[in-house]
Amino acid sequence: MSRSNMPRPVFFNLTQIQMPVGALTSITHRVTGVVLAVGLPFGFYALHLSLASVQSYERLTRMANTGLFKAALILFTWALSHHLLAGVRHLLMDIGVGSHLAAARRSAWSVNVGAFLIALLATRVVL
Amino acid sequence: MQRLSAVFMLGFIVFVLLHFVADPPHSYEAWRGWVGNDGVSVAAILFVVALVTHAWVGLRDVTLDYVAPLAARIATLFLIATTLLALGAWAVRVFLLARG
Amino acid sequence: MKFSIYRFNPEQDRKPYMQDFDEPLNDGDRMLLDVILRIKEQDDSLTIRKSCREGVCGSDAININGRNGLACITRVWDLKEPVVLRPLPSFPVIRDLVVDMSRFFTQYHSIKPYLINDEPPPEKERLQSPEQRDKLNGLYECILCGCCTSQCPSSWWNPEKFVGPAGLLQAERFIVDSRDRATHERLDDLNDVYRLFRCRSIMNCTEVCPKGLAPSRAIESIRLTMLKEGM
Repeated sequence: MSRSNMPRPVFFNLTQIQMPVGALTSITHRVTGVVLAVGLPFGFYALHLSLASVQSYERLTRMANTGLFKAALILFTWALSHHLLAGVRHLLMDIGVGSHLAAARRSAWSVNVGAFLIALLATRVVL
Repeated sequence: MQRLSAVFMLGFIVFVLLHFVADPPHSYEAWRGWVGNDGVSVAAILFVVALVTHAWVGLRDVTLDYVAPLAARIATLFLIATTLLALGAWAVRVFLLARG
Repeated sequence: MKFSIYRFNPEQDRKPYMQDFDEPLNDGDRMLLDVILRIKEQDDSLTIRKSCREGVCGSDAININGRNGLACITRVWDLKEPVVLRPLPSFPVIRDLVVDMSRFFTQYHSIKPYLINDEPPPEKERLQSPEQRDKLNGLYECILCGCCTSQCPSSWWNPEKFVGPAGLLQAERFIVDSRDRATHERLDDLNDVYRLFRCRSIMNCTEVCPKGLAPSRAIESIRLTMLKEGM
């Protein structure tokens, strides 16, 4: 029996394909974007609480002292820092700054490390 | 569009952060007073517009890349668009009320 | 040296599998392709495309330890063992390390990779100054091996609609050619959410190009040109 009408297989195992540092920065840029978008309703709710009345402001202050809130805040800070720094890297590459491979790899590293450092700083401030 | 909204938001975020570091609000009245003033509230509303636009372009790109079947794609895009518009309208309302 | 090579014979196998080989290296060995051809002496059914053996035809593009490259210009002593050889990612596998490149070439043809100039031809050649000719550097050297496009995530998610790094590099090659008269049409064709703008500057293409070209920069250049033309 000829198997030649079966669809051809494809090599596509993402864990076996090498991802250079720029690719990591890029996919994290996308993931942090989605995380931030999902967090928007919560962020807007906190904003609403902070402005609606004195009582809701106080309620927000109480909530802000819980562990869950602090953890969310740190995650949000990391997501925002990474997304922002990666975005700036994108803007610079758009106008031709740092688009050579060597420079692009360096800037990708700086973005990853920078965002992580900012998140660490936030952790110290918040806890 | 994505780039322009990004640049505007970057400026706004830097401005807000600087303000928080230099002069953090200590009470509800101080906070609301600062947000409610003409300059800040208008900038904040523009920020919301920029944010919704930026989030829309980003999420649309993600959908176009990963959601293949046409019907699911249109449904997802529609859902995202309406949610963003609703959130945006809510935020703008919050800022407008703060001016009151 | 230990190798683990992707095998698939459509007439015998239902699924692809990895086959291990152990091939001793000789002092005179330099490139991976030489060793693969010696492995063929152990197992003649191992199939790979190859031709020039000097990095200009692009036939032997394969995935080596996770990264696309040309087997004939990859130094075998630099490779980490076990050396894992697989076909180019995301392209349908015809047999072993040989893939179907038709989609890749369809995208290439779609950007009209030929000079478009309907003006009456001059007596001899269409002349170019050295500066105009220099603009083609970094663009004309593409050998269409497919390493870039098969390592591009945007090409993975939208292979039929996104032109891909190789196609876009060639588009830029014709956009900057001073003898071409269809610049506006070319830019118009690419000005679409899918054809060019799926590119997110991930830069995998530039990372793996065996000829050292930079498709990501070519794409950036097209974007800036579109902006200048007010698109």
